[in-house]
Amino acid sequence: MITFNLEVILNKIQDRNLHHAVKLRNNTHDLGDLYHHKASLFLKKYEAYLQREGENIDFGINRYLIMLETMLQERIQFIKTGQYSNTSFEEVEKSVYANPEAMVSHMHGLVLAQFLWPDQYTRFLFFSTNFHKYFNDFCTYLEIGGGHGLYLNEAIELFPQARQFDLVDISQSSIDLAKGIIDNDRVNYYHKNVYDFDENEYNFITMGEVLEHVEDPLGLLTKTVSLLSPNGVCYITTPINSPMLDHIYLFNDEEEIRTLFHSAGLQIIEEKIAISDNKSTTYAKKNKTPVMYAAFLKKI
Amino acid sequence: MDRIEILRQINIIFAELLDNQNIQITEATVAYDIEDWDSLMHLQLAVAIEKNFEVRFNLQEIQSWVGVKDIIDSVVQRLN
Repeated sequence: MITFNLEVILNKIQDRNLHHAVKLRNNTHDLGDLYHHKASLFLKKYEAYLQREGENIDFGINRYLIMLETMLQERIQFIKTGQYSNTSFEEVEKSVYANPEAMVSHMHGLVLAQFLWPDQYTRFLFFSTNFHKYFNDFCTYLEIGGGHGLYLNEAIELFPQARQFDLVDISQSSIDLAKGIIDNDRVNYYHKNVYDFDENEYNFITMGEVLEHVEDPLGLLTKTVSLLSPNGVCYITTPINSPMLDHIYLFNDEEEIRTLFHSAGLQIIEEKIAISDNKSTTYAKKNKTPVMYAAFLKKI
Repeated sequence: MDRIEILRQINIIFAELLDNQNIQITEATVAYDIEDWDSLMHLQLAVAIEKNFEVRFNLQEIQSWVGVKDIIDSVVQRLN
């Protein structure tokens, strides 16, 4: 039986890390009914997947807390050096993407973070509430680096009759997780490096939290633009000052991201910026606090 | 270095990090007493204290700090 309840998850985190649980409660207590509805829908699917795999929500919580610990180590390193600890894609591919144990652990940690961290929820809400402006049932959808499948799942929930849903990801572990959670036969999954992917042109492309994982984000954006139909729209997100085990490209501020979009031939239609822990812009600049950047874009 | 001197130097670190030259911490000050002392500030603080006193802490120890007294205990332990 699925027993999902955000309070149950927070209580379990509280048993292991009281301070963190207090912070999570403070950050999520006033996010409203829509938040609880969306979190409940997705996390129920996640819990159902865990049960099919012979696991339960404790598995996800363990992974989340391990990810948190790794993230704090990376943050300390970042405060000291002002740089991400990894800068080579090859190294991260070996240690994370091609290492099922590390990848699975990391991805499960990220699933819970989508609804426990307000900045993550903000970017999801931005997508969910604006997607209908740029998509309809006649459109085709591609997700590059689908992670845990949250965004693709939402696209299917909003437009279940749409023409095509494809996902391309370099990590088989990530595909397995997204496939397991989404649990929908309409999705075509491609285990490929996106540079080797030339299926079609798409009306809509989502690429969430991928740019920071590559050495050449301009090259990746250029490839993304080549997969976009002439009037297509893409939704791209990437963080600023956000050290993680597998982040290698550091964006120092949102202007760097905007400039990169322009260089790749993309024009911003609308954008959203959310600072971690609801800090002020001044505070974030001074302390290099993580900032989430998201935008809907079209070809120039 | 005695606890009073360590407290004085930590006070300077707090003042710089929080942009508040009037801040006055004591050994009884805990994170809850200072609005901006959150998890991110906690790590900034740890790194600044490591640098100032030329010591190193592990993550577990940093996470166990509830207030100024715990920080001073850790510094004293390292300096001795």
